[in-house]
Amino acid sequence: MQAGKRRWVALALGLAVVAGGGLAVGLSASASAQATYEIEPREPAYLYARTCGYCHGHNIAPIIRGRSLPPAVIQSIVRSGMGAMPAFKPTEITDTELEALSAWISQSEADPEEHGQ
Amino acid sequence: MTGGFSRREVMAIGGAMAGTMAMTPMARARMMPQDMDRDVFAAVVRELRAIVGEDWVFADEASTLSYRKSGIPDLRGEHVPSGAVAPANVEQVQAILAVANRYRLPLWPISTGKNMGYGMATPASSGQMILDLKRMNRILDFDAELGTILVEPGVTYQQIHDYIEDNDLPYWIDVPTVGPIVSMMGNTLERGVGYTPYGDHFFMQCGMEVVLADGTVLKTGMGSVENGNTWQAFKWGYGPYLDGIFTQSNFGIVTKLGMWLMPRPPVYKPFMVRSQNVEDVAAITDTIRPFRMNNLIPNGVLIMGALYQMSMFNRRADLWDGDGVIPLEVIQRHARANDIGMWNTFYALYGTDEMIAAMEPILTNAFAATGADVLTEAEMGGNPYFEHNKTLMRGGMTLEEKGLVRWWGRSGGAVAFAPVAPAKGSETGGQTALATEIMNKWGFDYAPAYAVGGRELHHIIFLMFDKGDDEHSRKAEQCMEEMINRFGERGWAAYRSSVSTMDLVAQQYGDANREVNARIKQALDPNHIIAPGKQGIA
Repeated sequence: MQAGKRRWVALALGLAVVAGGGLAVGLSASASAQATYEIEPREPAYLYARTCGYCHGHNIAPIIRGRSLPPAVIQSIVRSGMGAMPAFKPTEITDTELEALSAWISQSEADPEEHGQ
Repeated sequence: MTGGFSRREVMAIGGAMAGTMAMTPMARARMMPQDMDRDVFAAVVRELRAIVGEDWVFADEASTLSYRKSGIPDLRGEHVPSGAVAPANVEQVQAILAVANRYRLPLWPISTGKNMGYGMATPASSGQMILDLKRMNRILDFDAELGTILVEPGVTYQQIHDYIEDNDLPYWIDVPTVGPIVSMMGNTLERGVGYTPYGDHFFMQCGMEVVLADGTVLKTGMGSVENGNTWQAFKWGYGPYLDGIFTQSNFGIVTKLGMWLMPRPPVYKPFMVRSQNVEDVAAITDTIRPFRMNNLIPNGVLIMGALYQMSMFNRRADLWDGDGVIPLEVIQRHARANDIGMWNTFYALYGTDEMIAAMEPILTNAFAATGADVLTEAEMGGNPYFEHNKTLMRGGMTLEEKGLVRWWGRSGGAVAFAPVAPAKGSETGGQTALATEIMNKWGFDYAPAYAVGGRELHHIIFLMFDKGDDEHSRKAEQCMEEMINRFGERGWAAYRSSVSTMDLVAQQYGDANREVNARIKQALDPNHIIAPGKQGIA
C-alpha cells in the first residue's frame, strides 16, 4: 500500500471510531491565512466562471454571452435578481467589478461550450 | 423555447427596474423600523456611515433592492428591510451594535444572504436593517495537519474550494446544494446538511467567535484559553457547551467559525439506486438505515424524487400543459425517458480500491433486493441527474438546483418545507402520502427529496409556485401553512423554516422551549436588537 493510502486509511479508521475526529498525521505545516478584506477587483472571466456560468449556458438560465446585451441592463438584473435569479449585492460583486463584468458579457462572443436555455 | 428570454424583453425589464430605483424608502413607512420616525432613521444612517464609510450603508430604494429579493410568498410586504449596513471587521460590528442599542434599531445578520427556499437575505419582519457580513471574507487559518479551517462569515464554499486547489491541500469540503455562492458559516449556523461523510455541517463545526449585543466578544470551546491552540480541534471546551445556542438563533452575531474538513480519499465511487414506484421509498429507507447507522454507507444519502430532479433542468410546461397537477403516469413517462426512476437514491464509497471492492457487493445486493437497479458510472456516466449528485457527493461546485425556482416560469418562486422524521420506511411512506394529498389539493406538484442521516431523515419539499401571480402566491402560502399544521399534528415538525413561517413552526416545539429561549434572549439582548423574530424568538 502506498504511503498516501495508508495515511487515508488511518484517517478513515479514526473517523469510524470517534465519528468525525480524525487522527493527526504528518502532513506539511499549516497553509497561511488569507490576507485581506478589501480584495483587488476580480477579472470578469474569473467572476463569470465562478458565479454566472454555473447557471447561464448550463441548462439552468438563458445564454447571455454573444447577445450584445446592454451593460446597464445586465447591471440592473444582477443587482435586483430577475425572476428565479438571485440578486447579487455590492458586497458580493462590487460596483467596479460589475461595471467590468457587464461590459465583458456584453462584448463577449458566444461560447460554443455553453448550452441549454 | 419556453426557458429563455428575448433581448427585447431583457431591455424592457431593465428599463422597468431602473424606474423602480428612483423611489425613496422614506416614502414607504412599512420599510421603516417599527416605532422609529424618519428623522431618527436618518440620524442612525449618518452614525452607521461614520462607522463603516459612505459606501457601505444602503438606505435608499436602489441600493437596498438586492436585499429584498427572495423566492418566497410575501403578499403583504412583511419581509422588507429598511436598509443594510456592511461592516469590515469585528470592531465595526461592535460599534454598529452600540448604535443599534441606542436607537433600538433591529439588525438582521446575514453572511451572503443566499438562504434559498427560506427567504434569502430578507428579515422575519419588515423594517429591520440587514447587517451584511459579506465583507468579512477571510480564511483566517487552515491547519493542513488537522484538516481544520477558521473562516469569517463572508467566505463562500467556492472560495474555500479555490483555496484548497490553489494550495494543493489534501481535503474536500462538504457543500449545500448551492455551494458556490453560499457562506460556509451561514449554512452551518442554519444547520444545513450536505452529501459527503461530513454532511452534517453543525456536527463538523468546532469553535466560534460571537459578538453579543453588548459588544462582548465570546470565543466558545477552547477559544478563550490563554495561549491555547486547540480551538478548532476540540469542540466541547469546559462547562456548558454554548455553540448550539448561537445556531438558528438571535442570541449573538457569529463572526468566526471553525470547521473540520474531510481528508481527500484516494478513490471515490458514486452509486445510484433506481426505484420505479412511488411506494418503493419505504423499502429504500429501511435498506439505507442500518448501513448509515454502522457507517458502511458513510455519506449523507439522498433519495431524490423524479420531479425534484427534473425540475432542475426543465420547466413545468416542458412536461405538462394540461389542467391540474402533473399526473403520475406523465411523471413516470418523462422519468423513464431520462433513465431515472420515481425515486433515485445516491450514496458513495470512499477509500481505497480494496475497501470499496469489499463494500460494494454487500450494498448492491441489499438495494437490488428491493427490486431496484443499482447503477454506477459505467451505466450512468454523462446522465445529468447522475452527474449532479456525483458532483455533490464529492463536495463539488454546482448551482443546478437553482433551476427548480423557475419551474412555473420566469417569475420564479419556491419555498421550502423540511420536516424531520425517524429514518424508517413507515415514516417516508406516510410523509409522502400526506404531502402529496395536501399539495395536490392546492394545485401544486409534489417534488420531494429525503436526506438520510444516521437515525433520522430530512424531508425536503420545495413548494414551487409562480411568484408573478398573486393568486398563486396566496395558494402557496395557504398550502405551506396547511402542511406545517397537518404534519405537526402527526408529530412531524420542520428542522428549519422560511422567515415567513418561523413563529408557526416555533409553536410546535412547545411553550417551555419558547419560554427558555425568551429568557436567554432577554438576558443576552435586552433591547431585542438582533434579528427579532428569528426562529420565533422576539
